[in-house]
Amino acid sequence: MYAIRTLIHQPLRLVLTIGGVALCVVLMLFLLSVYQGVADGSVEYVRQNKVDLWVLQRNATNILRGSSILSTGHGSIIREVPGVRIASPVLLLLSGIIKDGQVATLFLTGYDPTTGLGGPPQLVEGRSIQKDDEIVLDKCFAAKFHFKIDDRVRIQDDTLQVVGLSTGTNAFVIQYAFVSIKRAQALIGFPTLVTCYLIKIVEGTDVGSVTAAIHEDLPGVEVYDHETFLRNNTREMESGFLPLLYTVVIIGAIVLTTILSLLLSINILERRKDFAVMKAIGSPSRFLPRLVIQQALLLSSAGCIVALILFFPMVSLIERISPEVSTKSSAEQIVIVLLIVGVMSLISSFISMQRLRRIYPLEAFA
Amino acid sequence: MKRSPASSPLVELVDATKTFGVNEHKTVAVHDVSLQAFPGELIMLLGPSGSGKTTLLTLIAGLLKPTSGIVSLFGKQIDCYSRQELQQMRVLRVGFVFQTFLLLDALNVVENVALVLRFAGKSRHEAHRRAEDLLRLLHIEHLAVKFPQTLSQGEKQRVAVARAIANSADLILADEPTASLETKQGFEIIQLLHAYAAEENKCVIVASHDLRIVEFADRVLRLEDGVVVKSERKKDSGVEEASSRTI
Repeated sequence: MYAIRTLIHQPLRLVLTIGGVALCVVLMLFLLSVYQGVADGSVEYVRQNKVDLWVLQRNATNILRGSSILSTGHGSIIREVPGVRIASPVLLLLSGIIKDGQVATLFLTGYDPTTGLGGPPQLVEGRSIQKDDEIVLDKCFAAKFHFKIDDRVRIQDDTLQVVGLSTGTNAFVIQYAFVSIKRAQALIGFPTLVTCYLIKIVEGTDVGSVTAAIHEDLPGVEVYDHETFLRNNTREMESGFLPLLYTVVIIGAIVLTTILSLLLSINILERRKDFAVMKAIGSPSRFLPRLVIQQALLLSSAGCIVALILFFPMVSLIERISPEVSTKSSAEQIVIVLLIVGVMSLISSFISMQRLRRIYPLEAFA
Repeated sequence: MKRSPASSPLVELVDATKTFGVNEHKTVAVHDVSLQAFPGELIMLLGPSGSGKTTLLTLIAGLLKPTSGIVSLFGKQIDCYSRQELQQMRVLRVGFVFQTFLLLDALNVVENVALVLRFAGKSRHEAHRRAEDLLRLLHIEHLAVKFPQTLSQGEKQRVAVARAIANSADLILADEPTASLETKQGFEIIQLLHAYAAEENKCVIVASHDLRIVEFADRVLRLEDGVVVKSERKKDSGVEEASSRTI
């Protein structure tokens, strides 16, 4: 009761503290959901294009931050390898769409529409490309630049018609777009250039023997099974993004701890006489520390509740204002953040408790 | 005073001295004080500011340890109590009344009284019930849900007394309990403490410079500069001066 009453005694301070805690919680939740959104957007393309093998240039491990240059000739050789059913080429290149005089960069992906391999993982509107003058845009990219189905977009000197919108293709800093491989090769000016091949093998054939056969015929390439390639891309994405994420989450947690510690310490100092009296009249040794812990947990719980109320509408608002911000929330993330907040609350109460030790019962007689 | 000859002292001080600081900064707050306090007594420590009254009270409460001499509480030397035992003893057997009442203003009256009962291990329900009974006994039940800041000075001190006696403390230590009160309120409070000592056979030690209290005291110790300069024992027929240092 005392724990709650003393907090309520200063309503403005209480509101500001709960607000501060809530903002820290929202920040952490938001970062985790952005991370999950980016993680999914970055590797969803690979995950959804579930083929048996990915063939890239030697030493290339992923398609996010590695360069791989192969030729159509490689494709001809791969198709001759026993056990290979389909070898579908993909060309990935950074390109710019001109919109209102400004260039918007995207990850242009050329693929073979006849096999469909390497195409958009999931369409939310429209259809896949069928002709060379068609393009599928990422849904967030289209929303940001106000493109819709049947609009025409300009890439260099070509004009393409938007026929579909995809999801799972937003990597936060850049979004995927899909054209035919021929159009992509024409745009870059090298009609035989390919980034990688997506291989489907004949059912019942051993993946290892096909891999070995490709290596034998083409010593200058890397061949990955799907899981390994997915893992490579995930690792690559995390190496670029996770340190930043962790740094900001740690800062958020420190700010939260500081806010709580400050409030609890001020509370103890303001109520110094009360604490001295309680010590003098014989409060049990655990009573006062428990009081501080109760206050920390009360504040952080209130902050978490406010944060959870604010979080989802806020994310929805942000996504409306900046469609390229793709988030994905889960119960697991919320539990992680609540655990972090719980631990930080305990740390802040332990920090504040140091002040309790310097309050003497004799002060009640002063 | 209804002390039986066989009763043992609740408080016993033998040549208790308390000094603060060292060398040229050394201050003797209490010097060679000897005292025995028995159940049923109201003892007054009378003296001006700085005479050592409050220091003596805190020595008796076990909040300070004597620099030299012996302080015993409830038949056991203070030094022999563990920290936990001292805490237990203060909450169960000692009650405090302060000059400025020192009620917790975040709690209402009944919660203030119930708090010490909770410290003593009573359940929330039991503590509240006992606190309400006490308020009724002291005729302040109408204040139960009021907060200290809305009470008069006299009402605050009555609540403070209720808190002090909530656990049926054997020993009440009151530090200038009437100093912040008007004459009538002061009388009421000291009557309350006197009645507690006499009727409940408890010991009350009051530190004060308020001469109005003297008539209620069974014994008066006059302190000056930390030394007991005079002690008086009130008898049914009047006041008897004691010459011995052990009072």
